[in-house]
Amino acid sequence: MPLNIDFLQILLHMLNFVLLAGGLTFLLYKPVNRFLEQRREQFAGEEKRNRESAEENEKLRTEYEQRLRRADEEIAERKKAAEKEWADLSAQYIREAQEKAAAILLAAEQEAEERKEHILESAQTEIGELVVCATQKLLSDTVTPERNSALYDEFIRLAEDTITAERSKHDKK
Amino acid sequence: MERNAMNKKRRNKKLIFLAIWLAVLAGIVVGILLLWPPGSRHENIREVMRDGVLHEQNKMDLFGLEVNPGLISAYMVTAILLTAAALIRIFTIPGFQTVPGKFQCMIEKLVEFFSDMANSNSHHRPRLVGAYIFSAGVYLFFGTLFELFGIQWPTASGVSMSLPAPVSDINAAIALGVLSYALILGAGIICGGFRGALGVLKDFSLPISMSFRLFGALISGLLVTELVYYYVSLSFVLPVIVGVLFTLLHAIVQTYVLTTLVSIFYGEAVEPKPRKRKNKKAKR
Repeated sequence: MPLNIDFLQILLHMLNFVLLAGGLTFLLYKPVNRFLEQRREQFAGEEKRNRESAEENEKLRTEYEQRLRRADEEIAERKKAAEKEWADLSAQYIREAQEKAAAILLAAEQEAEERKEHILESAQTEIGELVVCATQKLLSDTVTPERNSALYDEFIRLAEDTITAERSKHDKK
Repeated sequence: MERNAMNKKRRNKKLIFLAIWLAVLAGIVVGILLLWPPGSRHENIREVMRDGVLHEQNKMDLFGLEVNPGLISAYMVTAILLTAAALIRIFTIPGFQTVPGKFQCMIEKLVEFFSDMANSNSHHRPRLVGAYIFSAGVYLFFGTLFELFGIQWPTASGVSMSLPAPVSDINAAIALGVLSYALILGAGIICGGFRGALGVLKDFSLPISMSFRLFGALISGLLVTELVYYYVSLSFVLPVIVGVLFTLLHAIVQTYVLTTLVSIFYGEAVEPKPRKRKNKKAKR
């Protein structure tokens, strides 16, 4: 054959290569490829899990944020309600205190009025007695204009002293 | 300061003297070698190069059969590769880690390279062609590098000679070309039936072109190497560049070319072809 081509040797080369191809495929190519495939799948699985985990985390974060927002709103509402309740209560207390104070004042005024009247009544009785006494005295003594004037002065002074004494008693009480 | 400058000058002078002395010595040696008669050779350059291409004279014995040295190299390369593969399969692959070490990384990269090439060039049934181009690539690459080791083997006439690359034998190149074509044809028939086979058969020149491209590329490198090795005068520095770099470059380029071509033709063969609908209305 030209170029030293030999069909037997071609077949021997083919046999050699087929043997080599089979051996390399089963000893190296397939096991390494299988390993690479497994690792690729492992990485893909991990990536998928990470993605799912990230999505779950994001979901939880959103949920927590919503809860926090709701809690904040609830706290604000409760605070507002408490403030309103406190304001109402304080207003009520003030109103009651004012009413009580007004009642006390009214009672005190009434009592003072009663006492005043009582004092005036007792003063009038005493004045009457003084007048009766003075009249008796006047009638018993000689009545002169000087004496008369002195009696009136005496009467007025006694009346003033009595009133002053009553007032000081009342103030002390 | 002055003493340092003096020392520097002396050192420079010494270096210049040494360089001149070495250059003169090298010139004399080269001259001697150029004039040295190649009388000790038992065959001339023409015979060496003819034998390098055709392997007509230096046959080797394989179980009583006289064969080309390339066949012995092929079986030796196969034995070495299969042993290495078995050792890797037994000792390395079971201990593969998720985060690879250097050796694991190299093995993974090697497999991945051919696997990716198969996947990118043929989108249908890429596993078969992936395994094939992996084997062909490894065989071609290491087979071409094999000649660098210069393993000596006795010829049938009793003379010892270094074993060449397996594909420098035209029979090996034809075998590889025909096998590649058979794979493509087989895949075409499996995937496309009769139409698929026709599609592949129209490229009947493929095995011839593949074989001779491979053989031509390998043999050109071999001839240049033989030429360089033949003359003693060219055996300084040059063989390192020619021998190592040419062989390495050939190994890489031929591996890449053959595997790419096979995967592309395979991809075309297995690609599902859309059926042409007969437009009856238009005919009417």
